[in-house]
Amino acid sequence: MISEEIKKKIRAIVGAENALDSKDECFGYSYDSSFVPLAEQHIPDLVVMPRSTEEVSGIMAIAHEYGVPVTPRGTASGRTGGSIPDNGGISLALHRMTRIIELDEGNMMVTVEAGVRTIDVYDHCAAKGLFFPPDPASWKYSTIGGNIAENAGGMRAVKYGVTSNYVMGLEVVLPDGSVINTGGKAIKNVTGYNLTQLFTGSEGTLGIVTKAILRLIPMPKLRNTIQLMFPSLDSACETIHKMLVTGVVPAAAEIMDKISLQAVSRHRKLDIDPRIEACIVLEIDAESDANLAKQAEQIKAIAAERGVQEVRVAASQQEVDDIWAIRRGLSSAIGAAAPNRFGEDISVPRNAFPETIRRIRKIAEKYDLTIAVYGHAGDGNVHPSVLCDLSKPGEEAKVHEAINEIFAVAIDVGGTLSGEHGIGITKRPHIEKALGASGVNALQLVKQAFDPKGIMNPNKIW
Amino acid sequence: MKKADTNACFTEVNAIVSQCDRCGSCLTVCPLFGEKDIESSSARGKNNLARALVHGVVQPSDEVLGMVNFCLLCRSCVDNCPNKVKTDDAMIALRQYFADKNGGPGAKYKALGLLMKNRTLVKLSAGTCNVLRKIGANALLPNGVIPSEFTRRQYLASFAGPAALGSAAPLTKQNVSQESKVAYFTGCGMQMLFPDAVAASLAALRTVTTPQVVDNHCCGLPHLAHGQRTEFLELAKQNIALFEAADRIVSDCASCSGTLKHIAAYFADDPVWRERAAAFSAKVMGLSEYLVQAGYTPRKGGDAVITFHEPCHLGRGQGIKKQPRELLQATGRFVEMKGSDRCCGGAGSFHLDYPEIAAKVLEKKRSNIEQAGADIVVSECPTCLVQLQKASARSNGKFKVMHISQVI
Repeated sequence: MISEEIKKKIRAIVGAENALDSKDECFGYSYDSSFVPLAEQHIPDLVVMPRSTEEVSGIMAIAHEYGVPVTPRGTASGRTGGSIPDNGGISLALHRMTRIIELDEGNMMVTVEAGVRTIDVYDHCAAKGLFFPPDPASWKYSTIGGNIAENAGGMRAVKYGVTSNYVMGLEVVLPDGSVINTGGKAIKNVTGYNLTQLFTGSEGTLGIVTKAILRLIPMPKLRNTIQLMFPSLDSACETIHKMLVTGVVPAAAEIMDKISLQAVSRHRKLDIDPRIEACIVLEIDAESDANLAKQAEQIKAIAAERGVQEVRVAASQQEVDDIWAIRRGLSSAIGAAAPNRFGEDISVPRNAFPETIRRIRKIAEKYDLTIAVYGHAGDGNVHPSVLCDLSKPGEEAKVHEAINEIFAVAIDVGGTLSGEHGIGITKRPHIEKALGASGVNALQLVKQAFDPKGIMNPNKIW
Repeated sequence: MKKADTNACFTEVNAIVSQCDRCGSCLTVCPLFGEKDIESSSARGKNNLARALVHGVVQPSDEVLGMVNFCLLCRSCVDNCPNKVKTDDAMIALRQYFADKNGGPGAKYKALGLLMKNRTLVKLSAGTCNVLRKIGANALLPNGVIPSEFTRRQYLASFAGPAALGSAAPLTKQNVSQESKVAYFTGCGMQMLFPDAVAASLAALRTVTTPQVVDNHCCGLPHLAHGQRTEFLELAKQNIALFEAADRIVSDCASCSGTLKHIAAYFADDPVWRERAAAFSAKVMGLSEYLVQAGYTPRKGGDAVITFHEPCHLGRGQGIKKQPRELLQATGRFVEMKGSDRCCGGAGSFHLDYPEIAAKVLEKKRSNIEQAGADIVVSECPTCLVQLQKASARSNGKFKVMHISQVI
């Protein structure tokens, strides 16, 4: 519990209306988009909504003095419980820090506060012909600070990489309230440890990112969408592999298995041939019509050699929208296919994609569960989605066992626990399997150096 | 409250809110979260509060009831939700739970429910409102509860279009059916607050059919929205019986037509009323929906620029989006405003319960109307018209407010 004295000091910094302490209001800050069950232990004692770095610094200094745990939060769209305040303390909601401070066109960089939504960064830069590529599915509501904390990915990662590839510098409030700046606008910067990359993906366990300098690239002039339907999963994966090794790199390369496709087919009343085993949706981009057309021809030829059943190259914006509707409609289609579902995130070497999916299917058979599999095939990021009904006795335990086995498969094929969602609470029990005891120990030593009192987003990652 | 009732309510609520993936997409569209950006204002916050209540993580309290009541029921979240979680239905069910638990929805809503249930009282109130308007005393009442009407006569005088174009539309040959028995459903709000619009709706209907004016009961939405489901069902049965002879039931209030269309769902498990309710709901149409289908020819509107505020219960509630715009385009100078389908903050009695927040929500609407350069904002819902009248006043009369029937 947080004493009235501490609350009073914090209210003096942010104003009474920006610090909530009623249990019912605080409950709203006890969950995120993960499957961590609702529980009293996750309800923060105080929700604080600062508007500036100075306020964050002041709050952290008080928290440090009194040893109060602090859990930073953007819009809580994370899927592994990273912004859930485990065992209470302060939930530090940064969604009101929404200034886009500077768009530096000359250096092709933008400086923003942590609470700016991803789509707002994209739109702001796109208006000047500049491109901020990271596009997590949650980009309409996720914040930049959250993306940096989780090192979010997205569909364009195969060509453009993930959030960390675009973070040039950070302003961070450390657990004792001191403020540091890492990196900067210099493209070449090898002064000291690369703290920018250390904080990116640290899931809020080392400090609070309050500002970020982000790298931009020129906006691709042209883009198009291609849909490929395959009668076999292997030929679909081989097509992606062949494309990439021959130098045809799509901006996005999404794959959906038969269960996913049939769910979309039912949900959106589409006429998808039930013999189709896998669908690939590709986005290609280029600077000229000729190059765009050439890429499309190369992709069609590679797919044809591997027995593609249907090829659709979008000829209008309507067709682009129709093709993407299948991929974008997947989440709701799978959601509607069962009373409950557990969406997971593993990452495997690209050529292990087919084997991973085959082994996931065996796990589904073993546990008598339906598991839809889709993902970003171009970068090996697999999203198995376990469909279930938690009201059935024993179902939840069965689902967790199946998910444990899926994680084991990811590690066994040379992959890892997460491609873009982080570890948070949900994957904590598996971290040692992924990194080994010495690996976890190394992480703990880093944590100890920044946060000796252990107040910064405790009980996450390990 | 009987335990079985609680279980049924919680089962219904749980079935809805367990579909929420907590992604946060609703945060970007919820008008209330736009003004008060704390989690409990959003649909995600409310759905998970409901989940916690059902699973015993939070206890029912006045504070929780306050969060449940703090919802416009505008369905913006439902429209934008990947899983189409019906937060509005869950909130209505929870209001019912609290009303049953607390022995009623509270004195204010009980009084409102009693008034709306009694036809004589509704008529008396309508008369009183008329008198207050005539003597100008309506302006003294707080929160614009009885707005002045802007009539077609004033509209033609204000915007000097050719007066000849203001005459009634001619009878059309594209009538739905000369044999169709079309009944007009008089909404309580329309009757009390906008009698001139009621007259204009009937005049428009008379050009394409011979509308019957049935002395109907309240549609029951105020009761349903505030935990008086029994009263809602009673009123629904009375209306079902009253309109059995009609082939079409037309209402110029989006909330009434939306509610009446959904009545069938509330009787789906009732062997006695199921078929009658389904037949009743199938006959209900919104005014603009009916007029377009009947081939109504709108009157020319002079030189005033008109924009449309789409009521939540019309657009998202019934999918009636194209029809009012088609009619307005035919009147002449129609412009679409930004955010035309965004809630105006009226939402039944919400604007009376939370005047400050409702005013903030309305402020965005006022700005959008002004940016569109509209002389007149038109709508098809009395609560929206009340709100828009306040926006008009705040704009110092830059635009006027009218029901759609008054301009077509």
